[in-house]
Amino acid sequence: MKPVVELKNLSKTIRSKKIIDNLNLSLYPGQITGFLGPNGAGKTTTIRMMVGLMKQTEGDIVIDGVSLRDDFEEGLSKVGVIVENPEMYKFMSGYKNLLHFARMHKGVTKERINDVVRQVGMQNRIHEKVGTYSLGMRQRLGLAQALLHRPKFLILDEPTNGLDPAGIREFRQYLRKIAETEGVSVFVSSHMLSEIELMCDRIAIIQNGKLIDIREISEARDSFYYIEVTPMEQAEQLLVDGGFTVKPFTDGLLVNAEQHQIPDLIESFIAEGLQVFAVQPHRKTLEDEFLEMTGGGQIAEANAK
Amino acid sequence: MLKLMQNEWMKLWHKKGTWIMVGILVILTAGMMGLMKWISLQNMGGEMTREGMIQDPSSLGGTVLLLTVIVAAGIVASEFSQGTIKMLLTRPVKRWKVLVSKFLTVNLFGMFLMLIGYIVYLLLAMLLFKSGSGESISSWSVWSDSLYMLLLSFGNVFITATFAFTIGSVFRSSSLAIGLSLFIYFTGSTISALLSKYEIGKYLLFTHMDLTQFKTGMMLVPDLTMPFSLAVLAVYIVVFLLISFTTFIKRDVTA
Repeated sequence: MKPVVELKNLSKTIRSKKIIDNLNLSLYPGQITGFLGPNGAGKTTTIRMMVGLMKQTEGDIVIDGVSLRDDFEEGLSKVGVIVENPEMYKFMSGYKNLLHFARMHKGVTKERINDVVRQVGMQNRIHEKVGTYSLGMRQRLGLAQALLHRPKFLILDEPTNGLDPAGIREFRQYLRKIAETEGVSVFVSSHMLSEIELMCDRIAIIQNGKLIDIREISEARDSFYYIEVTPMEQAEQLLVDGGFTVKPFTDGLLVNAEQHQIPDLIESFIAEGLQVFAVQPHRKTLEDEFLEMTGGGQIAEANAK
Repeated sequence: MLKLMQNEWMKLWHKKGTWIMVGILVILTAGMMGLMKWISLQNMGGEMTREGMIQDPSSLGGTVLLLTVIVAAGIVASEFSQGTIKMLLTRPVKRWKVLVSKFLTVNLFGMFLMLIGYIVYLLLAMLLFKSGSGESISSWSVWSDSLYMLLLSFGNVFITATFAFTIGSVFRSSSLAIGLSLFIYFTGSTISALLSKYEIGKYLLFTHMDLTQFKTGMMLVPDLTMPFSLAVLAVYIVVFLLISFTTFIKRDVTA
């Protein structure tokens, strides 16, 4: 598959501090990629470079085969952007705001504006001033302005900030829909790991300006079970003898067992006269992995905001 | 480019302040005319005729300048302070185009205010003042003088607005831009007068800002000619715009 966006050896130096260091990343159509990193790792800087708010010191950004260096207007015409809180002109209505941004793209008709307004479910209040909108409404309007020109690539920086749980869910489903039906490549940066985990197909992790990991989220992981048994020592012995790896975890044990092995395990516990309180599948969350990889996620020294 | 200007024009008129400015312009112009009428009734200012008033509408310049400077100072700075700059610059439009559209809109707004002020001025000149014995109102020379003065007084509006625009876009602070612009507007002639003995006085911006001096003959520095003034002004304008454009295009937006 041909990538929609390629970052090639992207670097950014501000006052002789290397904030982004030789970043390489490809984003593919129909895929939602999450962008994670501790505060100050360079997420925002990377995104700002991709949308033309900052200039890279070295390297290149290629969008749909066009380098932003060579043809900024052509490259950026494929990109829809929501950078942090979408700030709109508060003194104008939502519709006028959309009209304003539509005029800056080629070929966005009035019908298209109305379509997008309907898609984000704002038709009732679109003619009211943005100043009267709630944060959730403004987020919807922000999404609307990013979709006006049918972008091939959507960049979202902290998109679910200020949305309520229902709003987040709706937003997630919406993103998934446009990624799947229109083949849009989506790039989402967020601190909300659980959110990213639910939303994304792939995650890229950045730390101190360097990309430290890219992985598919659906990758099969080792299966773990959490078991609470007394007396614990006896159970541990039993498990080790059975060839399992055992790790103490909160009040019980963490065992790397497959699902089909569980009934036998329980039976053997009962046969030994042990008391079984709980046996449940244990999933290592993205949060655990993230903290493992970034070393507790302490704020990087080069704090680039 | 037309679409960008349409955008700027739309944003401008959706701000309440802009309408208030037009209101202020009308009130100040009317007030000024009323004052003139009162002075002429007191027989203090000599004979004031309808034609005389029409021939010199340059008193409009000050009010228009003040209001245009406010818009010029804020048109870039406000995008930064509202945070909308990041929405504006993540479009497939090069930055210089955005800035040009803003600059042209400022000047269009200045001309528009000039026109509104001029209409009010003319109406009141007709209403309040009697026709004198000199040239008749139907004579072409009255109107050509009038328009020429209007154009010359717009010169000052254009220059000060450009200055405010530059400061506003470089420092992203509209209050700084308004303050500095009005400071040079009010103190400029004093500084020029102080330095008029020296050679440098001839190259100061302030010496040339008020182009109506060539019509009225009240020169700040003797021996100035209009072409020389225009040349000096052109250099200043180019420098201002160069500074404004290079900083705006190069800037990393972090707002």
